[in-house]
Amino acid sequence: MPLDVAPVVRAYETQRTLNPPGIPALAPVPEGETDDTRRICEQFGEDIVVAGLHNGNEVVYVAPGQLKALATFLRDDPELSYETLIDVTSVDRSHLPLDGEARFQTVYQFRSYSRNQHLTVVADCETEPDSDGASAKIDSLTGVYQGAEWPEREVYDLMGIRFTGHPDPRRILMPKNWPNHPLQKQAPLGGEEVPFTFTWDDPEFETLGSQILPAESTIPDLPPGMSRQNMVINMGPHHPSTHGVLRLVVEMDGERIVSIDPDLGFLHSGFEKTGENKRYKDFVYYTDRMDYLSAMSNNLGYCLTIEHMLGLEIPERAQVIRVIMAEMQRIASHLFWLATHVLDVSGTGMSLLMYATRERERILDLFEMACGARLTVSYIRIGGVWQDLPDSFVAELKDFLRVMPQKISEYEAMVTEAPLWQERLIGIGHVSAEDALGMGLTGPMLRGSGVDWDLRRDRPYSGYEAYEFEVPTSDSGDCYGRFKIRLEEMRQSVRILEQAVDNLPGGLYKSNNRKVALPPRAELDVSMEALIHHFKLMTEGFHVAPGFFYHGIENSKGELGFFVYSDGSARPYRLHVHGPSFNNLYAIDHISRGEMLSDVVTNIGSIDIVLGEVDR
Amino acid sequence: MGIEEKVPEGILTTSLDSVINWGRANSTWPLLFGLACCAMEMIATGTARHDIARYGSELFRASPRQADLMIVSGRVSNKMAPVIKRIYDQMLAPKWVIAMGICASAGGPFNNYAIIQGVDKIIPVDVYVPGCPPRPESLLYAMDLLRAKQRRESVGAWRNVEEPLAIDEIAPLRI
Ligand code: SF4
Repeated sequence: MPLDVAPVVRAYETQRTLNPPGIPALAPVPEGETDDTRRICEQFGEDIVVAGLHNGNEVVYVAPGQLKALATFLRDDPELSYETLIDVTSVDRSHLPLDGEARFQTVYQFRSYSRNQHLTVVADCETEPDSDGASAKIDSLTGVYQGAEWPEREVYDLMGIRFTGHPDPRRILMPKNWPNHPLQKQAPLGGEEVPFTFTWDDPEFETLGSQILPAESTIPDLPPGMSRQNMVINMGPHHPSTHGVLRLVVEMDGERIVSIDPDLGFLHSGFEKTGENKRYKDFVYYTDRMDYLSAMSNNLGYCLTIEHMLGLEIPERAQVIRVIMAEMQRIASHLFWLATHVLDVSGTGMSLLMYATRERERILDLFEMACGARLTVSYIRIGGVWQDLPDSFVAELKDFLRVMPQKISEYEAMVTEAPLWQERLIGIGHVSAEDALGMGLTGPMLRGSGVDWDLRRDRPYSGYEAYEFEVPTSDSGDCYGRFKIRLEEMRQSVRILEQAVDNLPGGLYKSNNRKVALPPRAELDVSMEALIHHFKLMTEGFHVAPGFFYHGIENSKGELGFFVYSDGSARPYRLHVHGPSFNNLYAIDHISRGEMLSDVVTNIGSIDIVLGEVDR
Repeated sequence: MGIEEKVPEGILTTSLDSVINWGRANSTWPLLFGLACCAMEMIATGTARHDIARYGSELFRASPRQADLMIVSGRVSNKMAPVIKRIYDQMLAPKWVIAMGICASAGGPFNNYAIIQGVDKIIPVDVYVPGCPPRPESLLYAMDLLRAKQRRESVGAWRNVEEPLAIDEIAPLRI
């Protein structure tokens, strides 16, 4: 049976959604100007199509031929100095009312840490019709920012845009014999209809299973650049220390690693495509399942993005509850990281896993008190949080905060000074600040190399400016430095939590805007209007004004960003997730070269990946 | 490939069954193998609070050759499917499979191009655990159900089992 991505077209997929006139619409052009856009316009003149502010972000539309020159200028100009390319993504606008404009656009997020600036650059791709529907191409930025390599491969894999000058233009997530580029708008969502029948010869069963790609029984290719002169070792996707289904192809010369080629996508679940077929509020539940160790932060990142596009005010109490949840999640995630890191490095160190999960279970208990779920919480919703904290929550949390600092010290005492631990970590996985910036690393990977940057402090969201905390950094750039940073981050999270519970204000726990946030359950019994709002939200959802927006938050692993392109309807037209694990994992090749095979395991643990987010 | 190969056919094996099944049901070693979110709950089941050691299953083996039980803990993508099939084939009979969570059971929230709608399309499943993710208690309950199944089995049933059980009858085997 040949592969058929979409054996059945579901009726509701082809139904037209009811849209007000004028929708779908293209994103409006940016307006106004800032110092940076003025400087760029002066330099590039005609080649800047338009520049200005859009949804509060500085946006520059550049002619495709000048993209590379612009990126070089952004990086090297002392007045701009955008050191890092955070994210590359793309939009297929074929379902929008185009008037001869290019079908594909690539969108870049640049960040200047030294100047605390964020810039979005949009470029049209040159499109030419080709055998598989469409193919577009644009210059690759890998020569300017090394970290563009993987995001560009992802864009090629999922969207089919070719990057000229890319050193390694292979697919990255999908199997190499996959027939299409799934994020293109004409590609179907796929999936199967569940046959509700009792006999095996029902025609509904005919297509069952046709969605599975036939496996190839060929010898895997040698990744480009590797030589058979050296020993090539396969690690994963089933390996106890790769933190999930990661496959690494490791080229070794004797005991030393020459290069590593990670093979991703074993957990690719089509989050972005699924999100584009869901209403805005429904994607919250999917974010949990991406980085399943920090579900709360994922909820928060997504909700903040949509709320900003809606211009929604969040009540004070909801903001503080969100901070409490996000920080608890950070501690839980770091505890799990610590447990698995020690387990990986020592091979047998089960004891720390048992201890650390004890505290983690307490956090999960608190989550359960608040929302009934342990892992996939979906507690933070657009407009606020799902429901108010139960009465006993604060007391329980205080109790937890009382014991936590001493537990952190306990864990620290167990490993920090241990000679074996130090031997395995100090000097291993070294990355310099310059490389970290070039590769677009974020979170502890960046701070471990001495770049003092934390989105919570430097671009505060959700009221983080009101809390006092320190951002630990380390100049050592190795696994040991990152280990210490994460331990300290747990302490700082406890500090934030203490401040938050002491200053938990009363009032609403979600926005009073009934067009976006559901009315409380009790209101449905007494108010007709509430019932109507509830019905409209549950069936149609709310509409978001046309435009796009990128917003990043600091989760436990680094910068978690959401890029949403709205066409004015009730579903995101394009939804892209910038996962910190994905970008940080890119460093594995760089930091492991010249080290031993056993150090790869240390490095994976130190990067702190979650495959659900790497593969999305 | 277990003791059943050594027992001559035709011997009345009732008492032998109960001894062997007692052993198997009380020391089912799972494969150390996590896929997605559900794997976190699987690990939680292995830690102190839920303590899967009570079932004699605390020894998660990384090698399929040493494992009796595959807990498919998460969504199975198109790229992962051949790998799972191969790992399953590498496990020695007798072997059992728990499909943990709605993704492994039926695709769950991911009814899309990337995810296979239920791991039972590629390997046979003994126990399905609903939930997204199932709580550790649910997984322990699934272990209970599996033990009940193991206790009812006859050693003869696993004699000469090389191919997976007749999954072809349910859905065409594609890997
Ligand atoms: S069932 Fe739910 S928790 Fe489990 S892997 Fe699927 S999405 Fe994740």
